[in-house]
Amino acid sequence: MAVVTLDRLTKIYDRGHAPAADAVSLEVRHGEFMVLLGPSGCGKTTTLRMIAGLESISSGTLSIDGRLVNQVPAKDRDIAMVFQSYALYPHMSVEDNLAFGLRRRSVPRAEIERRVKTVAGTLGLSGLLDRKPHSLSGGQRQRVALGRAIVRDPKVFLFDEPLSNLDAALRVSTRGEIGKLHRRLGATMIYVTHDQVEAMTLGQRICIMNGGKVVQVGPPLEVYKRPANTFVAAFLGNPPMNLLPATVTGDSGGLALKLGEVTFVLPAWGAPRLPAGTALTLGIRPESIAEHPRHGAAFASVEAEVVQVEPLGAETIIATRLAGIEHDVMARIGADPDVEVGSKCTLSFDLAAAHLFDASGAAIARET
Amino acid sequence: MPTLRRAILLLLLCAYTSFAAGPFVWAAMMSLRTTTEIHRNHFALPSPAHWDKFSEAWFNSNYGVYFANSTQIVVSAVLILTIVGSMAAHCLARYRFRLNRAIYFILFSTIIFPPQITIISLFQILVQYGLYNSKVGLTLVYVAIQLPLTIYILESFFARIPSDLFDAARMDGYSDWEIFWRVSLPIALPAVSTTVILNFILLWNEFLYAVVLITEEANRTLPLGIQRFIGDTQEDVGMIATGLMIAIIPVVVVYAFFSERLIQGMTAGAVK
Repeated sequence: MAVVTLDRLTKIYDRGHAPAADAVSLEVRHGEFMVLLGPSGCGKTTTLRMIAGLESISSGTLSIDGRLVNQVPAKDRDIAMVFQSYALYPHMSVEDNLAFGLRRRSVPRAEIERRVKTVAGTLGLSGLLDRKPHSLSGGQRQRVALGRAIVRDPKVFLFDEPLSNLDAALRVSTRGEIGKLHRRLGATMIYVTHDQVEAMTLGQRICIMNGGKVVQVGPPLEVYKRPANTFVAAFLGNPPMNLLPATVTGDSGGLALKLGEVTFVLPAWGAPRLPAGTALTLGIRPESIAEHPRHGAAFASVEAEVVQVEPLGAETIIATRLAGIEHDVMARIGADPDVEVGSKCTLSFDLAAAHLFDASGAAIARET
Repeated sequence: MPTLRRAILLLLLCAYTSFAAGPFVWAAMMSLRTTTEIHRNHFALPSPAHWDKFSEAWFNSNYGVYFANSTQIVVSAVLILTIVGSMAAHCLARYRFRLNRAIYFILFSTIIFPPQITIISLFQILVQYGLYNSKVGLTLVYVAIQLPLTIYILESFFARIPSDLFDAARMDGYSDWEIFWRVSLPIALPAVSTTVILNFILLWNEFLYAVVLITEEANRTLPLGIQRFIGDTQEDVGMIATGLMIAIIPVVVVYAFFSERLIQGMTAGAVK
């Protein structure tokens, strides 16, 4: 176990170009499962590779257990990494793949054999030790790649999108295995993914990145429920949060907002501090919208036209159009709804679950 | 119908095989016949077979020496080419450094010069360095002429090895030097085998550089030895055929050995 501290870690590949990782500051605690989440090109893999020692650090500091490791080569950082492509040595058997790292570290032969056997047993690879990677299935290769990391018993595990090459069913089961592995080993793990489901289910905390910068760090549900800005709000959730343009119209007994052609009051915001005419973005998750009217101050009712219906079995996603609003408004409703494309319905927004973002996209704190 | 199609296919294959192997079989038959017998009938079977021609060529016509010279020069050149070529290809494919592509282009562009252009200057250089008429000199020339193609073939293969493998080896604690020997080279074995076969066959049969740069009897290679049976007014066709057979054997052996490795490597594949 180890504490990994990133302080303004920056990576610039080409001078004159934007940094791939821009002043990334983050502390990964002892035994924590931290997920770096973000879209392609957001700098999460670059950050991971800097931690691994596979990329040089342009500026900033990286410490493991308080020891500065900026200049320490990858092999001396006591870190193991699981690669997206598995990176198994194709000319070696499974056993040699598992033992390759230990042999270099002059671990006694008997100890190597013991560790390889133990790890192979744990991961269900005992019968495959003589096989070459090309004769293994995707799932088996993935387990060998995991085994290669575990067998070294490192301080820190790094995962670079390890599930992205697996089919959907295998991805779910392997995800579960990685979760179990973390609980069993209690090791510090840093996991890079662009898949929010992986991030939400595996991470104890999520670090969301965009454009090389850290946007928000926090426990998964915290980040989901209280996104720091419109990027996080739109990135997490499927379908993502509805982000609708709104204007402040007054301050009588709460924040009065005009959304399209409808005006309603957000009671939960308390005293308004925003002058009338301020342009805002109202964020509301699809599950906070019902397709039938609900009464009370906590709900806003809006007339809408259904433009798309996607029945998913356990639930239905509908896309609706509101008068005066360009974007479709998505709602997650019951399994067997009474709506069809072209029909009119009254959407009710749960205002207690609504979010407000200012013109720059930053969340406006709710007064409690 | 499938039987008829099979028969036609078989017939075509037989025709192609006899077309391809015909000259070889003809030369093999002539190698067991005397020149007088050959002049009498070009295509007759060797009856009686003069096996003694092989020992005569080997001992009396100095083929033993030519064979040893060829082996020494070609094996050394192929060995150097394989090691230096794969190291250079590994560097060019793996490391990002300034002028990487420029170096690659300069190396590869030397292929465009026909040997006739460079041979005079090479002759001068070898004379100046005291390497003219020496096996070391010819070996170095062979390395120089085949290196660009070797690097070209190997670089494209090394470039296809995913960089994750190198990263994984670095994480496993291996140095760049060890990664080359323990990861890159074994994975690139199919391509390395291809270059070994290619270089061996090309250099084993090489004539032009050898005839210009070697004149001393003790340093002649096999192609030069065979040429000795071609006179101004007459040719000892029988001995030429025997010499050819002696020259072909190592090529067949090298091909048989490395082509198996080549196929093994290809089927193992799986750099995923």
